[in-house]
Amino acid sequence: MKAFHLTVARVGENLFDGEALSLTARGKEGAFQILAGHEAFVSELVPGEIHVVAADNKRYHFETPRGGVVEVSHNQATVLL
Amino acid sequence: MALKDIKSKIKATERTHKVTRAMEAVSAVKMRKTQSAALAGRPYARAALSILARLSGSAALANHPLVKEADALSKIALLIITSDKGLAGALNGGVIKAAADAIAAYPIENVTVYAYGKKGEEYFARRGYRIAHAYENKKDDIELSAMEELAAALSHEFEAGAFGEALAAYSNFKSTFEQLSSVRRFLPLSLSSVERLVADIVPVKGKWSELKAIEAPASYVIEPEESEMLSYVVSRLVSISLYHLLLESKASEHSARMVAMKNASDKSEEVARDLTRLFNKIRQAGITREVSEIVGGREALAT
Repeated sequence: MKAFHLTVARVGENLFDGEALSLTARGKEGAFQILAGHEAFVSELVPGEIHVVAADNKRYHFETPRGGVVEVSHNQATVLL
Repeated sequence: MALKDIKSKIKATERTHKVTRAMEAVSAVKMRKTQSAALAGRPYARAALSILARLSGSAALANHPLVKEADALSKIALLIITSDKGLAGALNGGVIKAAADAIAAYPIENVTVYAYGKKGEEYFARRGYRIAHAYENKKDDIELSAMEELAAALSHEFEAGAFGEALAAYSNFKSTFEQLSSVRRFLPLSLSSVERLVADIVPVKGKWSELKAIEAPASYVIEPEESEMLSYVVSRLVSISLYHLLLESKASEHSARMVAMKNASDKSEEVARDLTRLFNKIRQAGITREVSEIVGGREALAT
């Protein structure tokens, strides 16, 4: 499975920065999943949590109590909490 | 100068020394804290600004009110971030001067000042500028939400056409000994101005030090409703960038104060040493005079 670069950051702290296989999150219009090669995309996250599968198949999840912003472009995804 | 005066001056200098030493120690602790906050915040701010830059450059945002060059270009808003307290060397003076230079071309009545920190507020209020909002800059652990309010107020005013451009004057943290007063335009958003901000916050070395070119994709899929979503994202990103400016200013303030207090402590030590030397010299001169008077008197009696 192809990987993409993912950065998950909170003020003052980088939660995840590296290659990932998938990112699952919940936006205003429902849950969505980002895989490698996703088209350019911007969305707002609702409070909840996000799930990440890293390139080494490790799973992470992060709480997003205040929502956030997700942006994807050029096979690179950024989540700001 | 009489001996007694010198003595009291030495005492006074030593007291000042104690105070500056204490302030130096306090600032050193605060400096470490705020510096690491500013440095730790850089990747986040960089990521936020990169998104902002890509969005500003893409077609999705081309018609957003925060991106459009406004018609009311004769009016300008200035956000000035200074400290509340002085004794920080040339820090506030530098920021205020840079800000004053940037708005020098505009008549006073066309400038709206948003002051974060008392020093900037005092300066511009004294010169008759209109202060729209004045915030205290006391606490070191500021929440992002504090900036969201300010960013929302600024974006709202901008969209309403109250001014055509918004500048932020702050002090960019380079190192403990070097802070750079900078003025940056943050509204309307443009690819070039955001890129400049990103370039400012790239650390000198380490992981984030390479500057990648920011390319904007032609179009974005935007969920949910475009306009509503963009307003949210853009205002959030603007507040993140303002928040970052504040973090940089905080780190600069405490670094500048630490250095200023260190210089003051060193100087007071020097002054106390010189005064002690002068004191000893005068005292010795007095003793010598008395001895020679006694000897002279004895010799006069003996003959």
